Amino acid sequence: MNLSYTEEQVMLREQIQKFCETEYDFYKREEVVKSENDFDANAWSLFAEQGWLSMPFSEESGGFGFGPIELSILFEEFGKSLVIEPYLSNVVLAGSVLDKSNFEGKVELIENICSGSVHVSLAYAEAAHSYEYLKPDTNVSDDNKLNGTKTLVLNGKNASKLIVSCVMNGELSLVLVDTSADGVSFNTFRTIDEKTCAEFTFENVSIRDSDVIAAGDEAKNLLTETINLATLCISAEAVGCMVSCYNKTVQYTKEREQFDQPISNFQVLQHRMVDMFIDSELAKSLLYKAMLEVDADSKDKFKHVSALKAHVGKFGKLSAQNAVQLHGGMGVSEEMMIGHYLKKMVAIDAMFGNADFHLKSFSK
Amino acid sequence: MDINFSKEDLAFRDDLREWLANDYPKHVKEKMDKGEHLTRQDMVDYHKALSAKGWMGYNWPVEYGGTGWSATQLYLFNKEFGMAGCPPLLAFGVSMVAPVIWTFGNEEQKKRFLPDILDFNTWWCQGYSEPGSGSDLASLKTKAVKEGDHYVVNGSKTWTTLAQNADWIFLLVRTDSTGKKQEGISFLLVDMKTPGIEVKPIITIDGDHEVNSVFFTDVKVPAENLVGEEGKGWTYAKFLLAHERFGIAAVGASMRALNQLKEVVSELNNSDLDKKVAEMEIAISALEMTELRLLSDLENGGHPGAESSILKIKGTEIQQGLTELFVEAAGEYALMYPGAGGYGSNDKPSGPEHAAVSLERFLNFRKTSIYGGSNEIQKNIISKFVLGV
Repeated sequence: MNLSYTEEQVMLREQIQKFCETEYDFYKREEVVKSENDFDANAWSLFAEQGWLSMPFSEESGGFGFGPIELSILFEEFGKSLVIEPYLSNVVLAGSVLDKSNFEGKVELIENICSGSVHVSLAYAEAAHSYEYLKPDTNVSDDNKLNGTKTLVLNGKNASKLIVSCVMNGELSLVLVDTSADGVSFNTFRTIDEKTCAEFTFENVSIRDSDVIAAGDEAKNLLTETINLATLCISAEAVGCMVSCYNKTVQYTKEREQFDQPISNFQVLQHRMVDMFIDSELAKSLLYKAMLEVDADSKDKFKHVSALKAHVGKFGKLSAQNAVQLHGGMGVSEEMMIGHYLKKMVAIDAMFGNADFHLKSFSK
Repeated sequence: MDINFSKEDLAFRDDLREWLANDYPKHVKEKMDKGEHLTRQDMVDYHKALSAKGWMGYNWPVEYGGTGWSATQLYLFNKEFGMAGCPPLLAFGVSMVAPVIWTFGNEEQKKRFLPDILDFNTWWCQGYSEPGSGSDLASLKTKAVKEGDHYVVNGSKTWTTLAQNADWIFLLVRTDSTGKKQEGISFLLVDMKTPGIEVKPIITIDGDHEVNSVFFTDVKVPAENLVGEEGKGWTYAKFLLAHERFGIAAVGASMRALNQLKEVVSELNNSDLDKKVAEMEIAISALEMTELRLLSDLENGGHPGAESSILKIKGTEIQQGLTELFVEAAGEYALMYPGAGGYGSNDKPSGPEHAAVSLERFLNFRKTSIYGGSNEIQKNIISKFVLGV
């Protein structure tokens, strides 16, 4: 038994930390938020150069074949600095589906994702089926026309291609749709964690047989596995947020003086920060468990990802609320970073099943 | 990263399981499984069975007759015994006073005391807390005055666990009250049969007689029973408390309780309770992984910081939380306690078996967040680490 990261993994973490510290501070993030794109083209090409965009893909698809442990490292560090680049939508959601599929054009498409030249999004959600992704209403008719509405398509506005979950020939299918095709329209919305998502409507969009990525059990497995991996990733992001929440709060309370002394002298605040620290350590422990189970492809991997997601859903929000409270009025100022962790934690809890949902999944 | 134990460690775990299946004294096992009280003799039998196997010195170095087990082996020992529902090992002799004796005691003391601890010929108890000194232990007042080749001890100790069964007590006493309160404390070993010692029971809210007050009136203790140097007792006391932390997370015992709880709850059809049980299971998983992370760190030569305090806080919260869920699962049967024989008897009130012991455990386990450095003291320790002061 050895739970330490390898030298390579430690180096990867340091690389990402260095990027976040030097190229992606909170002011830089604000610029990106206010920009047209909602992502930073320079950062995105840097991700490509560093190989981060190719990280999890199999070697046959031109990737490094890294697993859930490396992805968790990346997301933990992104969480600490609230990085909003569309990594989850491109690499984890769309990318994993393609990589694990038998789709003919996958190598070329993955190459384009890895080089950062093309954005692809996975359209998995529908308004009527919250957290239930295997029974979409969107469908492909007998004459191969796609109809329906997909919501919460992350980074949808930048995507030139979508992978759409739908019913085709009576079974769950994943089809590739060009966003410029006839019959595709969308509206863009902001998410509370400063990203964007889109609602896509498909009206008689023509689907060719060669656009079908997977169908039946294969589609079901691809979707289930991918959502589980994405859930692990955003939970790792939550762990990073929790670590930053208590670090920043400790720092702030040591600097902030009231009644002629730093407020960190007060025991009631100390114990709250200790609670934040303990909850983040427990979250880390559940992350270890979940990423190792996913890495081993064990039968319990869904259960342990649910345990992690349920914990960070509840205690991540609590940590961020404590961080806001201990920052006083500064905690609710939009221009301060700390309140944005709270928004991020709410966003993470809402995605792919909230704490209650995963508590139920866990006990099944 | 590899979460699996080595072949050697797994073989070791099999040895533990084999002992538990064949050599764990049957009469003790039966009582434990039914949630009954153990007698002094039961406890002696259980510990002597471990001595016979050579496992009594589970955390001792080989040179004093211990097992010399690695941190991983210790972890497995604690977990497997917890999962089997064994009584917690009495820590006072083997893992509290013994390390102090072999580290700070003289050769004579090592020869005199250690073999009997290893064979469980002597039952030790702990003379630390006093009526006025709980978390602020250094404020203790029990006085020892040197007269010739004796110390004369006057004062009282409290919350002394199972002093009614004990042969010996290790005492923190004040030998000097002129300087700082941490200075002037000394560490004495005292035979409980010495004239002037009186043990009075303290009955706790579960109705049990587990702890006591111990009074000392002009108790003559031979000067050769002083451990180390006069006035250095505080150093030894702190050293001892660091050893007390072993197994404090009680993951094995909590896993056993959880499995029993899940069985009970599965028949109740109560979705609110199901949810609480799921949260508890996740909390135990998090605790288990936290302990494994600590273990991995130790085995890799690391020096963990605040982790053992996390294990104390979360471990005891979980133990208490489990007893609370059993009480909830008992429903209105939680009203009935104790059974016909009254407090301290093994008579069960009517109702399902799980309900019968739920109240007693719930009440008894309140102690866990108080002893061994209260959970608030643990938070003070962690806050020094978190704040970096």
